[in-house]
Amino acid sequence: MAIQSPSIDLGGTISVLLGRSGVSRGYWQSVGRRLRRDPVTLICAAILILLVAAALLAPWLGLADPYKTSMLRRLNPIGSPNNLLGTDELGRDMLARLIYGGRLSLFMGVTPVACALLIGGFLGIAAGFLGGRVNMAIMRTMDVFYAFPSVLLAISLSGAMGAGAENTLLALSLVFIPPICRVSESVTTQVRGFDFVDAAKASGASTLAIVRVHVLGNVLGPILVYATSLISVAIILAAGLSFLGLGVKPPEPEWGLMLNTLRQAIYVNPVLAALPGVMIFITSICFNLMSDGLRAAMDVKA
Amino acid sequence: MLLYALRRFVYLIPVAFGVSLLVFGLVHLAPGDPISAIVPPDAPKEVVDKLKEYYGFDQPLPVQYLRWLGVTLTGDLGTSIGTGRSVATEVATAFGNTIILAIAATTLAFSLAVVLGTAAAYAKSRLVDRLVTLISLVGVSVPHFWLAIVLVIIFAVELGALPPMGIGPENSTGWRLDRAHLAHMVLPTIALSVIPLGVVTRTVRSTIKETLSMEFVTALQAKGMSDIRILRHVLKNAAPTCLAVMGLQAGNLIGGSILIETVFAWPGTGFLLNSAIFRRDLPILQGTTLVLAFFFMMLNLTVDVIQTMVDPRIKRG
Amino acid sequence: MFKHLRFAVAGMGLCVLAVAPALAQGTLRIGMTAADIPQTTGQPDQGFEGFRFAGYTIYDALVNWDLSKADTIADIRPGLATEWSAVEGEPTKWVFKLRQGVKFHDGSDFDSAAVIWNLDKLLDDKSPQFDRKQMAQARARIPTLVGYKAVDKYTIELTTKVVNSLFPYDMSYIFFSSPAQWEKLGKDWTKVAMQPSGTGPFKVERVVPRERLELVRNAGYWEKARVPKLDKVILFPMPEAATRTAALLAGQIDWIEVPAPDAIPRLRQGGMSIVTNKYPHNWGYHPSMVESSPWADIRVRKAANLAVDRAGLNKLLGGMMIESKGAVYPGHPWFGSPGFDIKYDPEAAKKLLAEAGYGPTKKPKIKIAISTSGSGQMLPLPMNEYVQENLNAVGFDTQFEVMEWNALVNFQFQPATSETATKAGVNAINVSRATVDPYSAFMRLYHSAFVAPAGANWGILKDPKLDELINKAHTSFDRAAQTKALADVHTYIVDQAYWVYIAHDLNPRAMSPKVKGFVQAQSWFQDLTPVEMAK
Repeated sequence: MAIQSPSIDLGGTISVLLGRSGVSRGYWQSVGRRLRRDPVTLICAAILILLVAAALLAPWLGLADPYKTSMLRRLNPIGSPNNLLGTDELGRDMLARLIYGGRLSLFMGVTPVACALLIGGFLGIAAGFLGGRVNMAIMRTMDVFYAFPSVLLAISLSGAMGAGAENTLLALSLVFIPPICRVSESVTTQVRGFDFVDAAKASGASTLAIVRVHVLGNVLGPILVYATSLISVAIILAAGLSFLGLGVKPPEPEWGLMLNTLRQAIYVNPVLAALPGVMIFITSICFNLMSDGLRAAMDVKA
Repeated sequence: MLLYALRRFVYLIPVAFGVSLLVFGLVHLAPGDPISAIVPPDAPKEVVDKLKEYYGFDQPLPVQYLRWLGVTLTGDLGTSIGTGRSVATEVATAFGNTIILAIAATTLAFSLAVVLGTAAAYAKSRLVDRLVTLISLVGVSVPHFWLAIVLVIIFAVELGALPPMGIGPENSTGWRLDRAHLAHMVLPTIALSVIPLGVVTRTVRSTIKETLSMEFVTALQAKGMSDIRILRHVLKNAAPTCLAVMGLQAGNLIGGSILIETVFAWPGTGFLLNSAIFRRDLPILQGTTLVLAFFFMMLNLTVDVIQTMVDPRIKRG
Repeated sequence: MFKHLRFAVAGMGLCVLAVAPALAQGTLRIGMTAADIPQTTGQPDQGFEGFRFAGYTIYDALVNWDLSKADTIADIRPGLATEWSAVEGEPTKWVFKLRQGVKFHDGSDFDSAAVIWNLDKLLDDKSPQFDRKQMAQARARIPTLVGYKAVDKYTIELTTKVVNSLFPYDMSYIFFSSPAQWEKLGKDWTKVAMQPSGTGPFKVERVVPRERLELVRNAGYWEKARVPKLDKVILFPMPEAATRTAALLAGQIDWIEVPAPDAIPRLRQGGMSIVTNKYPHNWGYHPSMVESSPWADIRVRKAANLAVDRAGLNKLLGGMMIESKGAVYPGHPWFGSPGFDIKYDPEAAKKLLAEAGYGPTKKPKIKIAISTSGSGQMLPLPMNEYVQENLNAVGFDTQFEVMEWNALVNFQFQPATSETATKAGVNAINVSRATVDPYSAFMRLYHSAFVAPAGANWGILKDPKLDELINKAHTSFDRAAQTKALADVHTYIVDQAYWVYIAHDLNPRAMSPKVKGFVQAQSWFQDLTPVEMAK
């Protein structure tokens, strides 16, 4: 659940990718080729695609209504005739809730990271490329956020703003912006110093073009690797917030919240109560393995 | 070296001001009314208004901030709205309890991580390497609060082997190093150590592997140096990177123990923060967040300086 | 039956105790639902759980509660006052005779000066001992008290704003802390909180914020029959139900408040006894009575009352509730004889809705503000979802506005016509109410003078006939007439179906088989003095 220091995590990535005047198409092709030959990454990707597809297509899968309660069917065990994975504490179908739950849980994992990638990446590149006072202003602001352990920041923000999916998304995005910003800034600063940038400037290339070709091309790879490793952190953090009652509000299906509300049922039906935890675990481990695979495929020492 | 440390410290001052502003703004983002949490649901509105005035919540925000900053600089974090007790004392006691748990968890996680990581890096058999990788992967992927509940059910409720909650036996007046207090620590320590174990094992493994492939190792081997002595050199070279990750993990563990402390009713900062959030006790929320952030900053600074000390290659300042 | 037997045993124990000094009987460890130990200075916070564990244990009120019986509703009895009465011909003046020879835990005397000092502590913001925190907890409990003075060392005179024959009930919530202790600790309430001194059966031995409150027996308690048998009581704040369950099962504590229904089978299997009893608690829907609200039509209100399958709901709660037939349960002295029988009759409900002009194309739209948790709210989400199913089955269109407990508490401070309520389209609230005394049971909820924020009449109910009935109860000084008047009030509100009455909580608590002698009174408060621990 802790964010690793980007400078350490990516030291290898940066040094490997830097020094090219731009990233050629051939490079990405070879990355793709290597990924295709990596069975672990492929399996993880397949599981994740399956989870995402099931979550998105949930209404058309012929599942039970995930909100439909029934007092007569409370906490039915796994393998009950009408409820393949049993029912929860309100008699709602567990299979339906786990699949629908993937919608919010995956969304809460991916969206904050994507937002942070956009905002943090933009700020970092701007700081690195423009340097001077802009760099100072942006990076010192980031230092302030960096002074908080990530979990503390997420919990304080959610705690202050109150429970709810929107607030969790906002809090998590804010948590992930500083590390991504730092990485982009350091890569950009280094790129800016390279000869090929000077050469491009001398040849009259516009600033925008330089950023697009040279900076983005070099920064995108390492940042993507880093971001995929953050997704699992985000999923667990979001689940933790829901678990504390600071995240998604009931009766929405969401894995962290389901874990929380099923806590009492742990004495009645422990396996059932553990299911949402298993879902979080599988998703999180798949994202982590994928991130590793991506890193390896980009020829980066982990 | 001293100069470098000093310069880093001075640099922290503006950041610290930023942090105070953020902490202050944080709790005032909040919707809802800080007073409502401490009066009974049927209290008349006039009582609520009077209290608001008394606590200064009727003042404009900048005034509230300056007032708060002023007293905070004197080391006074105000008094809790919920209990009237001094926030500084509350946070200090809670922080002490959190640190005890954090030391236990980091010791467990880091020592295990160094052993496992080194073993994996050195391992000839891929099985050992795979196993260690799996352990570290599980560590970073398992929801640790869920693991905590499972541990309680198994070891406290079903086996009755370990206490499920609290910091010590009922007549204890604070933490002591004895059997009973240690027994209370076992489950929370394990639950809290899984994440740092995962992260640090991973770092140690990859850093040592990287170091092993460096030229100097081959050279030392060629010279006929014993494996143990080579390991010392390798560890020395891998130390700075690992230390940096450990420092960050230790800080995150302290900031992130809220979930574990909630499950185990461990009276630390996380528990304090959680109850403050639900009672909307703003002074406590502010005080705890501020103290933790400052601790994290100082920890980062210390790690940074130590890193510079152990790594002669880095020349800073 | 078993409970009665237990009570008889405890009673015999008390007879013996009255003669011989009490024998030391171990330590009782209790897991509370509160997130922190209640305020210990006198007026506790944390709701009635605070009164239960840090109020009537450490302190006494002038008027105490009789918590010795399980089979009848708890009523008031003499406490620090031995007798009281309104002054003949001047019914707003009350004379309380104080008990003589009572000492605070610090050894100082309890007398009229101490009473006046304590009332100043709550009501006079110019007095040096004025304490905002205690004031905040107490002010709503004594809405009619305006004047007080000492007549002599053991007599005081209290004045009420209006004639209020039920005033002694109000005084049962006001505790008396020691002025000498406050002086000794530098006139600092924060310090008093760590070393409080009252007159109650238990003394405070240690206060560890957020961890525990340790009480020891007060061997010199003024009521010899109620000198605690226990050596010590330790109270732990444990807001997480799962933590309480685990701690009880692991033997770390002996008694937990409010076990989760789903954990009850496991607790029983672990040898724990589940103790329940009815008590004055009321869970239902408090509707908006403004003209535009569908609830303004009595037929709609009656239909909703008949639509709820309370037996099914009880099943959901594992038998931990009583099916409501009014604001108080049948058998309660104030129940009266309502003509409208609240029961499950969906056909009758459909008929009533049809009579009121509703049908499948024109459903009465109701939107209820509910909380996700909260003190006394029981299991708000599953319960409300269940009731929603019931209501919709007879032709309602039911929606919820879900909010956090604190948000709902704030929400109901403002009446149904306020902007927050109309904006959300809410026309009913689900806030459970303690119906301990006549003011909290009826006056503040149904009287037109107590429309929120002045009281808790959120729905702006204005019924002159009801006002008159309530006033009559508050102006009858004869005990029997008072009870009769309150029964008339209750009969009337049930016949008018002014609430949708759904459930009374059964106040479950789980305890280890070692806990002996506990009698669960029909009250929010409980007496720990007869409890002892088996070896």
